[in-house]
Amino acid sequence: MATSFKQIEENLKNEARKLLEEGKVSLVLAYGRGYDEDHPVPFVARVVADVENMVFNEYCTANMARYLVRYPRGTKMAIAVKPADSRAVVQLIQEDKIKREDVILLGIPVIGMKNSKTGEVIDSKTTCGMYNPVLYDVLLGEEIHGQTVVSPYDVLAEYETMDKDARFAFWKKEFDKCIRCYACRKACPMCYCDPCFIDQNKPKWGDKSPQSHGNLMYHLTRFHHLAGRCIDCGECSRACPVDIPLYLFHKKVAKECEEMFGQAAGKSIQDKPVLVNFRVDDSDKILE
Amino acid sequence: MLKKTAVQKISDLAAQLMQKGTLIAPVREDAGFNFREISDAGQVDLNFYNTLMSPKSAFFPHMEDFVRYQTGKSVLDAVPVEISIKPAFLFGVRPCDVKSFEIMDIHFSGTGAVDPYWQKRREATTIFGYAFDLNTPADGADFYATLGIGAADPEGSDVFMMKKGDELLLKAVTKKGEKLLAEMSGLTDASPEDQKYFDETVATGRSFKTRLTCVEAKSIAKKFEDLFHKTPFWERISDACLSCGICTFVCPTCYCFDICDETLFGQGTRRRVWDACMFTDFTLEASGHNPRTKVYQRLRQKVCHKYSYHVRKYGVISCVGCGRCTRACPVNIDIFSIVDQAMKE
Amino acid sequence: MSSDNPYIPMPVEIIKIIDEVDTHDIKTFRFTFLNKADEKKFKYLPGQFAELSIYGKGESPIGIASSPTEQGYVEFTVQRAGAIVPGLVTAALHDMDEGAKIGLRGPLGNSWPIEFLEKKNIVVVGGGFAFTTLRSLINYMLYKDNRSRFGDITVIYGARTPGLLLYKDELAAWEKRDDIKTIITVDKGDENWKGREGFVPAVCKDAAPSPKNTVAVICGPPVMIKFTLPVFFELGFSRENILTSLEMRMKCGIGKCGRCNVGYKYVCSDGPVFSLAELEELPRDF
Repeated sequence: MATSFKQIEENLKNEARKLLEEGKVSLVLAYGRGYDEDHPVPFVARVVADVENMVFNEYCTANMARYLVRYPRGTKMAIAVKPADSRAVVQLIQEDKIKREDVILLGIPVIGMKNSKTGEVIDSKTTCGMYNPVLYDVLLGEEIHGQTVVSPYDVLAEYETMDKDARFAFWKKEFDKCIRCYACRKACPMCYCDPCFIDQNKPKWGDKSPQSHGNLMYHLTRFHHLAGRCIDCGECSRACPVDIPLYLFHKKVAKECEEMFGQAAGKSIQDKPVLVNFRVDDSDKILE
Repeated sequence: MLKKTAVQKISDLAAQLMQKGTLIAPVREDAGFNFREISDAGQVDLNFYNTLMSPKSAFFPHMEDFVRYQTGKSVLDAVPVEISIKPAFLFGVRPCDVKSFEIMDIHFSGTGAVDPYWQKRREATTIFGYAFDLNTPADGADFYATLGIGAADPEGSDVFMMKKGDELLLKAVTKKGEKLLAEMSGLTDASPEDQKYFDETVATGRSFKTRLTCVEAKSIAKKFEDLFHKTPFWERISDACLSCGICTFVCPTCYCFDICDETLFGQGTRRRVWDACMFTDFTLEASGHNPRTKVYQRLRQKVCHKYSYHVRKYGVISCVGCGRCTRACPVNIDIFSIVDQAMKE
Repeated sequence: MSSDNPYIPMPVEIIKIIDEVDTHDIKTFRFTFLNKADEKKFKYLPGQFAELSIYGKGESPIGIASSPTEQGYVEFTVQRAGAIVPGLVTAALHDMDEGAKIGLRGPLGNSWPIEFLEKKNIVVVGGGFAFTTLRSLINYMLYKDNRSRFGDITVIYGARTPGLLLYKDELAAWEKRDDIKTIITVDKGDENWKGREGFVPAVCKDAAPSPKNTVAVICGPPVMIKFTLPVFFELGFSRENILTSLEMRMKCGIGKCGRCNVGYKYVCSDGPVFSLAELEELPRDF
């Protein structure tokens, strides 16, 4: 039996209050009230009084790991993490963007999260589909077991039936919709480059105008920058105002990586980032 | 002049307008409705609440080509792109969005240098405003009424439309609209009862409620001036902000742009492209100095520009409460809540 | 070229390039207009700027360094940017030779307020590369038909080293004139330097210009401005009588693109020249 959202919210508040009172952290990254119940916002509690404004409900989909790199190194932080979010934290630790000892993970097992724009239930179709965080210091609800586990790659079945040309045509059509608002990269916990390659003017990798070639350059390069790093939270796709199914490509690359190197992103802090790490027995498939 | 037609027959109307010029109207797309240039009259669909992107692109498109050049050739060989403007009809614009054109006019053609692209397109375009459906409550993100814009205000439109059951009433608001309606076939004269319905709807629209907080431009503008230096306030406000550009791109009154030289295989175009004050490199100077490196500084610029600087410079708030930015924000940031919180500071 | 479209540049040709400093990263470019009509239209005042436009690279807003009293050409002193942000336009320009043709959009922005300056004593304070539109102003005031419109003129100009001083020939000529007081200083001299050593703020303090009926026109790096302003406050200059030119990233130059917006001003069209009183009214966002 999954813990209710209301109970998780209570536990979150209690835990946040305790951590702030004891001075163990200087901020807690979680969720707060938005302009209505169905639209909670990412929220940072800095003092105990802020805790009252925290919420947790099925619309708290934002991946708070995205905000970790915003604070100076060494800042002690607590962060509310759902399963995919916990993987993002793990991946950021692997990439040495944050230190394990600087973050306290408040794990949230989830089932039945909903997209606040569409009301649709979020599952393995657009995310990793896990129920429990892979890493946590405190768990804010009972671990969820006994639910159907669907492979996050099942959604690729249809996509994989397309040949190379069909896939290119598919993506070209999707990217033609892109308005280059960059919400995808900004919502992504693993997109922390400053400046992003697409904003550089020397070399200039792609045009700023929303046309096919620049859009392709931006998205395809970003896809590849996230190879072996995407933790499948689906934030990019939910952030996209024109509904480009970015998750499909990320999942496809993640699947290939997992098949080739036997490792999914952000599962263990003992792992090394898969494309940074060389092992003698690594698959050579990528070179074929 | 008040005319009417069956809602079902708007494609006839659309087809006639397409004979006269470019028709830009709402069409249904994957992610929602958008204004598009219509190639098939059947595409026009008035069953929408409001579009994802604002209709500003009819006058100020996402990209506008200025000059074509070739790499390695002289500046003398560069060719300015002709501003070819055809008569256009912008169909189905909500009253708050119609209001946005007036606000943008002040900036682009009413003060200082005149932007020829905006001005010429504006002059060549006939606007068909379209009342919100007063039987349906406003979307939770909207606050146009709070900014004094009625849900069925005909001002600013050339022709103003509203639904009455399965009929569409069309009222000529300007001379331009009157002339156009007179030329259209397939429209019937409205009855006195229709006229009464029209007038009542306009009046009822004025008291139609969106989110309830009273705002007064001058006092908000002053408040934000005073709040500028309260960094903790802005930091708190921007804790959630991802600093992406959605809010500015969907906004009907955001006008920032970049001028880019884009070259592909030796063929180049100098064009303007929408830009956003939310982007890190927006104010990055060649010296390396950037006055707005932090998210809070950029969000502050955006909010203060709309609600304070614009009021002081042009006398109006640069926001029409259409709710697009709030609906589109990936993390549910709501500009009106920011204003609300500011007023309580 | 289209004359009513403010986004379309006018073609100009480089007729002279002067290598200004011993680090060779600041050059003065002299342009003539390729269309006579453009030359007539290009009526400017000291303090205004223009967009130097190179297709394929972009545009760069640069202050006009020549004085409108100089006929037949317009000059810009340009630093090769790129230490931090690659400066595509300035780099391309620096690689050009005399005879090359580029585009020019302008004149843009307000100017040093000539009418306000008339009948007043003028103290011009400049530091390093930021001397370009000040040079325009000085040459404008020194022009034979103009000199009597202004009171005493004092110029205090400093650079880090003697080799970094701009317009060396002109500085020497001004030093010889008796209708302008010229004080040149360097942070640190070399073996050949016989002039003054010292930072601009200290030199201003020494020179102690009287605030009476006097306007200070100050341009320089932020650190120079920061320490020079208190000197002028102490001397009794009011904030209305201290003028400067603001830097902000610009694109369109005509107050439309929103980039240089600071408070209710657009630096490109409401500025770049502001009095300190005006600047202090703006949010510190530049």
